[in-house]
Parts: sequence; structure tokens; C-alpha cells
Amino acid sequence: MDGSGSSLADVLERVLDKGVVIVGDIAINIVDIELLTLRLRLFIASAQTAKEMGMDWWTNDPFFSPQQAKRTLEANEVEQLRGRVVELERMLGAKQLEGEPS
Amino acid sequence: MSVGLCAYAITRNHVLDPAGPPGVRLIEHRGLGLVVAEVELAPFAELEKDPAHWVNEPSEDDPLVMLARRHDIVVRAVFEHQPVLPLRFGTILRDEQAAGRLLADHHDEAADWLDRVAGHREWGARARQARPDKPAETPTEGLSGTEYLAMRRGLLAAAARTRRDGSTAAAALHEALSRHATESAPRARKSGAPLLDAAYLVPAGAEPAFRAEIERFPELAVEITGPWPPYSFVRLELSTEAVAHA
Repeated sequence: MDGSGSSLADVLERVLDKGVVIVGDIAINIVDIELLTLRLRLFIASAQTAKEMGMDWWTNDPFFSPQQAKRTLEANEVEQLRGRVVELERMLGAKQLEGEPS
Repeated sequence: MSVGLCAYAITRNHVLDPAGPPGVRLIEHRGLGLVVAEVELAPFAELEKDPAHWVNEPSEDDPLVMLARRHDIVVRAVFEHQPVLPLRFGTILRDEQAAGRLLADHHDEAADWLDRVAGHREWGARARQARPDKPAETPTEGLSGTEYLAMRRGLLAAAARTRRDGSTAAAALHEALSRHATESAPRARKSGAPLLDAAYLVPAGAEPAFRAEIERFPELAVEITGPWPPYSFVRLELSTEAVAHA
């Protein structure tokens, strides 16, 4: 009964989010469990999303979910545009530096 | 702040397996035992630092992961021989007296819960739609507009049917698994959650039958995790505030 093979998300979710809680003056609050749980949720949400992309195939199949195809396209475009903005800002910054009297 | 008393689980009073994790000992009180170990506190205190990278998947050498794994290992080592009530990660007690007081104040409650989970192990089940064969490529050339729309409508209806069947099957699977379990607990719902995501508290004798149920649902991709100590079934908060001066 070795738990080392259990998935990280499964272990973290149980250890951090479940179990008997001790409150009162006998315990020392050294770790903000709320904060750690938040971290856990963020990670699990992203892991889950990745998994779903593979398992719930239809939700990302443009044929079955026409909305999804549109969304993916938009996401790509946003990414491209973001890249171009960064590029422009960089060029602009360089221009300003050149123009400034030294 | 250097060393503190970390508590892992409440169990019955017994001799700990000497081959178990080093440094772990039992604080005893009237037939109950609190599993504790002296730990360095600095790694715990540092867990909250650097929140920037928290969205990334933690690696096995992440401090949080190492401490969480250790917690699980200690709990499991006791759980192999005795019923346990796992404590929430990061429970640091003031001192040994505090540990004794915890057991004294909540003796009956803890003993009842231990009886309740004794002879059981927790299993997790996650079910998703089994991925069917990819729909055959339907030739669209030479189709009239009406024929094309009819074909597309047919395919979409089939996809909707598959989804609906999946939910029905997941509900049936949950019912079947619950028949072999003393208790079940739905896991936290997240966006994009599987059709079924639940934990089951299964008596040792019912485990083969519990696991066999999965074979009856070929339309689902079922993932079973476990056995676990009964983490999901000890919904218990032990407070010592009110009795501090009793």
C-alpha cells in the first residue's frame, strides 16, 4: 500500500484540503492553509483543463462545438496581437532613448 | 522558532511499526494515540513565499510537495496497521501537554470516529466519457445543401446523445459504487469537472465487488485511486478554545 504512485493532485487535495482540523490555543498557526489551498486549486484547475482537452474530446472539436473553434481562433489572435504590442513598445522605447539628449 | 511538534493523525494506542518513518512517535491518552514528530519549522513558514509561480504545476522537489508527501507517508504508515483520523496538513502543536489535552478533551468523539472508519479504506473514482471511435469522415462533396444540413444535424444529435448517455451512466456508476460503500463524498466541483468525481469509504470485504462495478460501465473511462486513509471522511473540527481553563 504505497502511496508514492498516487497522482500529485490527489495527494495534495486530500492532505491540504481534508482531514481533522485542530483549532484553539494548543495549535500554532505557522502555515496559512487557506493560501496553500488556493495554490492547490489554481494548479488543479489548470491540470484538469489540460486533461479535459484530451478526454472530453467533443468540447474542443470545432465540428461539435462551433463556438470552440471561434474561441480558439480568437485566443490565437489575441496572442499574436499581444506579441506585436510588446514588439511595438520595445521599438518605441528604443526610439525615445535615441531621441533623448545624452 | 526552530523545532515544533507536528501532529499527523489520531489513532488507537498501539506500538508503532519500528520500520515506519523515523522520528515519528505516539503520545498516548486512555487508549488513543496522537501521531507526532518533531519537525523543523522553517520549511513550513517558507511555504507562503513566492506566490508568483503558484499557478504552475509543483514539481516533486517543491517544498510544499515534499512536506505534503511526508504527511501522507506518516499517516499511511500508521494506517497500515490501525484505523486513523488524518489531521489537516501543517498542524503544529504548542508542546506535548497540548497534545495530551487535545486527546483528553476530545476522547469520546475521536474514539467514536475511529470506530466509524475502522476496517475501511477510502477509494477515489473519476469517470469521464470513454472516447469513442472517431466518427467516420462523411464525404461532403456532391451533397445538396439540404443533404449537408441533414447530415450535420444527425452528427450533432449523435454527439448530444453521447453526452447525455455519459451523465446517465455516471449517475448509475455512482449508485452502483455507493452500494458497496459505507459512505460517499463528492469531491470539490471544478469547472470542466469529470462526469463523476467522488470518494468512497469502502469496508475491506467489499473492495473486490466495489472494483468489479467499473467493468460494467464500458461507456465510461473510469479512474480509481487508492486505497487512501479516510481523508475525505473525517469532517471534524476539534476545538480547545472553550476548555482552555477547565
